[in-house]
Amino acid sequence: MNLHFQDKRITGILTVLPEHEQKFVDDMKNFDFPQARSLKLKLVMGYDRHRLVTAGTSASDLAIFGFRHLFDKGLLVPEGLDAMIVVTQSPDYFMPPTSNVIQGILNLKHDMLCMDINQGCAGFVVGLIQAFLMLEQESVARVALVNVDLLSRKVSAKDRNSYPLIGDAASITIVERGTEPATIYANIRMDGTRREALIIPAGGFRLPSSSETAVLEDPGDGNLRAKDHLRMDGTAVFNFAQVEVPPMIESLMQFARVDINQVDWFLFHQPNKFMLQKLCDKMKVPYAKMPSNVVENFGNASGVTIPIAITFNLAEQLRSGGVTACLAAFGSGLTWGSMLLRLGPLAFCSMIDYR
Amino acid sequence: MEQFLDKLAEILETGELKEDSRLESFPAWDSLGVLSTIALIESQYRVNFTAPDFAEIKTVDELWKLVQARRAG
Repeated sequence: MNLHFQDKRITGILTVLPEHEQKFVDDMKNFDFPQARSLKLKLVMGYDRHRLVTAGTSASDLAIFGFRHLFDKGLLVPEGLDAMIVVTQSPDYFMPPTSNVIQGILNLKHDMLCMDINQGCAGFVVGLIQAFLMLEQESVARVALVNVDLLSRKVSAKDRNSYPLIGDAASITIVERGTEPATIYANIRMDGTRREALIIPAGGFRLPSSSETAVLEDPGDGNLRAKDHLRMDGTAVFNFAQVEVPPMIESLMQFARVDINQVDWFLFHQPNKFMLQKLCDKMKVPYAKMPSNVVENFGNASGVTIPIAITFNLAEQLRSGGVTACLAAFGSGLTWGSMLLRLGPLAFCSMIDYR
Repeated sequence: MEQFLDKLAEILETGELKEDSRLESFPAWDSLGVLSTIALIESQYRVNFTAPDFAEIKTVDELWKLVQARRAG
């Protein structure tokens, strides 16, 4: 469906990365594959190193660290937050929502709307749509959109399919109502019939975790994972993105009546370098306009990859000026969405390490 | 087809590729090899393949024929 929004804008983006960095060449030792093939994988997919949380760190810890940084630096005033959206698939608890946990620990005001959204790699676009919808209300002037995932905790280290690309991170995006002449255009689509392409089979109410769901199994491709682990059907996901994303962007451009050449930056979810370059080829977008360096430097942190792509590649540019950006995100659900908006100047656009 | 054979040989990391070469005989015909082949077919021939499509394909020649059939259809 097509959506459009007036007088809404992003005013700041902060990403929080766990300090611990792991190298792909070390991960390789856990895979039951010839070394040459793993090195080829590194080259093609752009795997090099990724940031992972250490045991004991939860989603709220990364978010709270980020909020405290913003409060301490005077970049955000606690009383000014009217709503908080937390998009995550690695919540602290089933109950209560992680957004309430963060609100409570930070002692934020009670006159506030906290909401968790269960979304994966499409989480930044879905979260922005929800933030814009909240801002339609007079009582809501400023929304903190938190994207956070720690899915490395749910991926088998012996799964060459998923482990080398996964990363953990959080981001805080401040969205406000304000005079912004440019309309924001978006579209979003979902297909729950393909829900098993990206799934953690056990651990919910349908199949609670037990000693049986923790047993490592080989589905026939040499990758060992348990039902408690994230399972990605790599080729199905690749096909999904290649088939659905280019027409989605074409339809967004038509809806916005914008020529694709007028877009300065294509800020896409970062599954791996290979997939992004293939999308560029198909959409005839120059590689230079689409950052694809997030996985090699930090790993794929689900809904946080677009904020990482922005803060890692465009921080200087966005602190001083504005760009026309096309966002696209696609992932579990399956869910895919895109957005065309003016981005910047931002009050803050930076990345910090969680310690 | 010659161009297809050259590109496929590159993916399969082999110098020589014959029409009756069996795909499974190449160590590089793993998930990455399959993905690279899907991307090759997509970009060169505008045909969308999925991983299950490869289940019934044994040789290079069979792969080429399926690409041609999909293109025509």
